[in-house]
Amino acid sequence: MNLDDFESDALAELFNVGLHRAAASLSEITGQRIIVDMPRLVICLTEDIEKQLPNLFGGEIATVHQVFGGAVAGDAVLLIEQDKAATLAKLMTAGEAAPSGRLDQSAREVLAEIGNIVLGACLSSFGDMLQMPVSFSIPRIHIESLPNILRSLLVDSDEVQYAVIVATQFRLSEVAADGFMIIAVGAKSLAKISKALADRIA
Amino acid sequence: MADGQIGFTSDRTAALLEVGDILDIGVMALDRSLTITGWNAWLENATGKRAEDVVGRALLEVEPQMRAIARSAIEQAVNGSTMILSQRLHGFLLEIPAPAGYEHLTHMQQSVRILPLYDDSDAASGAVAFIQDVTERVAHEKELRIAVEMSQSANRAKSDFLAAMSHELRTPIGAMSSYAGLLADGLFGPVGEQQHKQLLRIKTIAGHLLGIVEQILTAARVEAGREQVTLSNVDGISLVRDAILAIEPQVAEKGLVLTVELPAGPIAMHTDEVKVRQIVINLLGNAVKFTSAGSITIRVEQPDAASVALHIADTGIGIGPHDIERIFEPFVQANRSSNRPHEGTGLGLSVSRELARLLGGDLTVKSEFGVGSVFTAVLPVDGSMLESA
Repeated sequence: MNLDDFESDALAELFNVGLHRAAASLSEITGQRIIVDMPRLVICLTEDIEKQLPNLFGGEIATVHQVFGGAVAGDAVLLIEQDKAATLAKLMTAGEAAPSGRLDQSAREVLAEIGNIVLGACLSSFGDMLQMPVSFSIPRIHIESLPNILRSLLVDSDEVQYAVIVATQFRLSEVAADGFMIIAVGAKSLAKISKALADRIA
Repeated sequence: MADGQIGFTSDRTAALLEVGDILDIGVMALDRSLTITGWNAWLENATGKRAEDVVGRALLEVEPQMRAIARSAIEQAVNGSTMILSQRLHGFLLEIPAPAGYEHLTHMQQSVRILPLYDDSDAASGAVAFIQDVTERVAHEKELRIAVEMSQSANRAKSDFLAAMSHELRTPIGAMSSYAGLLADGLFGPVGEQQHKQLLRIKTIAGHLLGIVEQILTAARVEAGREQVTLSNVDGISLVRDAILAIEPQVAEKGLVLTVELPAGPIAMHTDEVKVRQIVINLLGNAVKFTSAGSITIRVEQPDAASVALHIADTGIGIGPHDIERIFEPFVQANRSSNRPHEGTGLGLSVSRELARLLGGDLTVKSEFGVGSVFTAVLPVDGSMLESA
């Protein structure tokens, strides 16, 4: 199960719209100009995620994790390297959060809000495309290593799991932070997405 | 709920209000037209507004000053989105007075989650906001932030002062040492045997002072993050031999036995020669300083192809378990308060560990009080791995 080139391009466009919507919301909330780069997209089996994100191995990563359900169901995770996440939270709050470069409780909450906006905007795009609502759990924030994050995605899956990996960059105040989204869905959900994209292209 | 939707149905509102009271958080429910449908006892206490006076009224009538971004978040929630309003970015959702003791704040600081509510047919029918009072946490974080800033500022001032003072001292001490040497060598006329001896003593003392100043300067640079690593190709064994030559006179003066166990061949390293030499001299100097009788053993080995380990063991006074980590703090000597104080700044071990870490390695110690200590510096063979990391 995979998407053809046209469907992948259409999906990337969908995420691009979602990310720009997210950037606009974040800019409005923080009063700062926040730019999100055109996303790069890879679709793979969830067990192959590690191979796709080799640079994220080694250090601790700040993750915002939401479960989504409805027309399509799965796990959505936003991943940012911990020090970059602290910088992002600090810049977005004009130095109020994470002053010493550590993600304190308030900084984690800011990150949860950022993650909720970014993941929500992208997942809502699925709902819009499928013309069916997609609902989300409250985001959970964790600081952990990539293998631990991936383990939490790989459990309890009855069907083959696919991952849509979306790589982008958040830029503000001349600082850039790489951000990755992993949207893990089952084969049935990916088939629904594929069909909706094919209909959209047609 | 059908079709795998995540969220609560409207008929759970009463239970959610009650759970909020149990968990000590505010819970407010709204329908799609933003009319308040639920207001728990926590909110009654915090706002002074009773549920019977609030339920059934429009949110904006009860909270006329609500900011556009907060209102927009609630509107998105009633349309099916999960929303978070973090305290740092929004401060508060509802106009609730600051709790007692925090009157300097205009409002209670709030952390808010807003979840959509669904009806039986899975259509978004409203939203429920969970409001947590985080005023105390925010105040603590602010105190901590101020303390960290003050500490960082004081540290910077201290480092700047030490660097400036050391720099000012280094030049005249260097000149003193040079002139004493020139005088001793008879460059400005003949000197008698006693004069020659005293001049050499001045030169030695000046050299010792210069060493202390260099140590302080290095510590200040490391602390300020300004210490640079300059890599070159060196033989690790030759480096250790040079350091041993420098320390041998002190070992002999105290009548200690120096045992050297080095591998037969060279160890090619790509590292900062000056820093490695400084680490070895510091560790050997430390061993000599704290050993009044017995021996000092220096052993070099390669635990693996990528690293070099340098062990320096002594039969000195040793370090008690309570002091074992403190000895790596700047200006600390484990026996500073004992009856037999030892000379020095207490910077040698701290600087050595920082330098070892700067080179991608580490410095550790094993010690038994009254028996002796073994310091181990493990350094990477190739420091360029550090640059590409």
